[in-house]
Amino acid sequence: MNFQERLTNIRARMRDEKIALLVGVHDGAHFIEKPNPVMVLSGFKSLGPSATLLATDGAMTLVVTPHWDAARATQCCPEARVVGVDNVVEGVLGEVEGRAAAGTAIATAGLRFLPYDIASHLSFALPGARSADKLVFDAARTKTADEIAHAREATRIAERGYEHLIAIARPGMSEDELAVELKWFMKTLGAEDNFLLLCAGPHNRAVQPSTGRKLETGDIILAEITPSYRGQLAQICRTVVLGKPSQELADKYALVVRAMDEGIKAAVPGIAMAAVCRAINLVLEAEGYGEYCYPPHIRRRGHGLGFASIRPGDVALDNTTMLEPDMVFMIHPNQYLPETGYLLCGEPVVLTEHGAEPLTQQKAALAAVAG
Amino acid sequence: MLTSHPTLLIGPSDWDADVMPRQEFARRIEALWRAFPEAPCAIVYGSPAHHAELAYLTNLVPKLEAAVAIFSRGGAQEVHLGGGPNMLGSAKPLTFITDIKPMRGGQAIGRRSLEMKEGMPGTPLIIGDGYMPTAFHQSMDEAIGEQPISATAQVWALMHRSSSHELHAMRESAFALNGAITAITDAKKAGAGVTEAILAGEREANSRGAQDIRTLFSLDGGRTLQPFTAALATQVDPLQVYVAARRFNYWTEGFLALSDSRRPAVARAKELLRQALAAIKPNVKTADVLGIIHAGARPYQIHPVTERAIVSRLGLTLEEAPHTNPGMSFENGDIYSVRVGITNGTNEHAIVSAMVRVREGGTDMLWTA
Repeated sequence: MNFQERLTNIRARMRDEKIALLVGVHDGAHFIEKPNPVMVLSGFKSLGPSATLLATDGAMTLVVTPHWDAARATQCCPEARVVGVDNVVEGVLGEVEGRAAAGTAIATAGLRFLPYDIASHLSFALPGARSADKLVFDAARTKTADEIAHAREATRIAERGYEHLIAIARPGMSEDELAVELKWFMKTLGAEDNFLLLCAGPHNRAVQPSTGRKLETGDIILAEITPSYRGQLAQICRTVVLGKPSQELADKYALVVRAMDEGIKAAVPGIAMAAVCRAINLVLEAEGYGEYCYPPHIRRRGHGLGFASIRPGDVALDNTTMLEPDMVFMIHPNQYLPETGYLLCGEPVVLTEHGAEPLTQQKAALAAVAG
Repeated sequence: MLTSHPTLLIGPSDWDADVMPRQEFARRIEALWRAFPEAPCAIVYGSPAHHAELAYLTNLVPKLEAAVAIFSRGGAQEVHLGGGPNMLGSAKPLTFITDIKPMRGGQAIGRRSLEMKEGMPGTPLIIGDGYMPTAFHQSMDEAIGEQPISATAQVWALMHRSSSHELHAMRESAFALNGAITAITDAKKAGAGVTEAILAGEREANSRGAQDIRTLFSLDGGRTLQPFTAALATQVDPLQVYVAARRFNYWTEGFLALSDSRRPAVARAKELLRQALAAIKPNVKTADVLGIIHAGARPYQIHPVTERAIVSRLGLTLEEAPHTNPGMSFENGDIYSVRVGITNGTNEHAIVSAMVRVREGGTDMLWTA
């Protein structure tokens, strides 16, 4: 599928649902967990709050802030009419008010992810508009060929970033210093953004944002390396020991990798996402870690990858989404074990007709650097 | 200036009591109570993208998920952090507040604020709520049983006055900014491509301890600005850049137009900036300074990037319209970014800027192009 075909699908569904105008809005705070209807509909990653207005005949208007970013938006979306404004609510209402008054059936996407100041004004001004979140994000549940290619490149960058981590991590360096250097390094490779969670300790409870804590010999470094390439995120989850890992740690890591392998094997078209989570849990439960397969220790075994759509959603027991070819998502057991603490292990996969294909060249393995 | 907001804040943000002592925050919180003598407690919301008020009162810049601080007039202080109980450890170094709990939604925040009234009458204050998710806001309001009193504007008014600690933080921020700009200049002179030069600047800011660094640059001689979207080996001249650096939570920013040859637009912009800075003194009308720039720009026009924000306050945020509105006149002790952008609409463009602190008789320069 390419971008135009996705838009055609969306317009067809708009007609089915008798929606004449679709308004997708995003606040410009790009977050890994927050889907972006503007990117789904236009491909544009905005600086500030923005909106895409799509009519069933294909006419598209892109409302962007700040006003001076209109030129970049025009370059990105040459077929859209671009309006540069300094207030997205005023910009959207300027475009739709007349049509709303004339009875045009309007639907919105992304409103529930917006901050109060934007959402409350839009909801008030468009009282009859219904939510089209499902329509928009369902249409983007599978990635386009470009998005898959970008996910592959983001994965390549992540793996290079991981190599760099192995090369430079040392006792005395702070988590912040290491994270900043890795982010910078991956930017030199083309990553325009990075959800890089990195922390360390002798017994981690979870992976967290970096702090000023200095690395020490014996620390286990957790790194969720998540560069974005041209707006598409990919992630690798890795664990590195500063010093010589104990046999117990090596054994437990091998267990988590085995659980991940079972999850990857289980991910085939036509089954529900929940089955992937179950396959991972079964391995860990068989080893006596059943209680650690649930909150507060773990809430999911993977997730979709934005920034546009985060479908197919979490690798979780309650996710009934049926897997399809061209879905891209993370499979990461990322397990807390009482003997070792939290261990990170995960790969991005693209679903093919035959199953889940990891995008990585090197599967997760416990690494050690001189302590 | 709006720049591309990163999906995760990565950089040194731990609270440093030597830089921003606890008494500084006590002074700020006390000033809030003085502004609202009837208020029993205050709820302060901040997200990774919008957190100036939260950072002002707690030093906390949430890196991953949103946070709420609740203050009682009696002195109780606590932070509720999004992301679950396992995230609390990473927030502890970021603030002086030791009571950090997992955030359980808007209703729990509303209920907790009622408990923290400690029997006092009056309505809780709410600060920074414009950036709350709608459902969170609504459930918080329901739990409180009435609309909390918005105190966001008053906190912004308090933020205008810079203490010696804040000024020190701004100077440290300007040091990182200056390093970045110098590195970009050097890299361009050495023949670097556009993103190589930008990244050289970012790395230098990082090495100077910046907790965040944002850049924009132009590929068309300064007509438009764009964020980093991919590595580009292209060499451009003139190279128009925008750099914002953050240190100890405080931002400084700078525009610079770099060229191997003399560019009339750049020379004119620099001269206008010089004239504008010379005119800035306490109580001088901001409109007068804007007038100097508008009048001196002819035959150029004001650049679209700066036309609506020639003068902005800067500090804990880069962009929080309308709070960065410079007001009617320049105020003694305030810190401003002064930007001069001009264009002939076709092939000559330049944006330059300075950061100054207004003092009796003139300004102190934090950074200039």
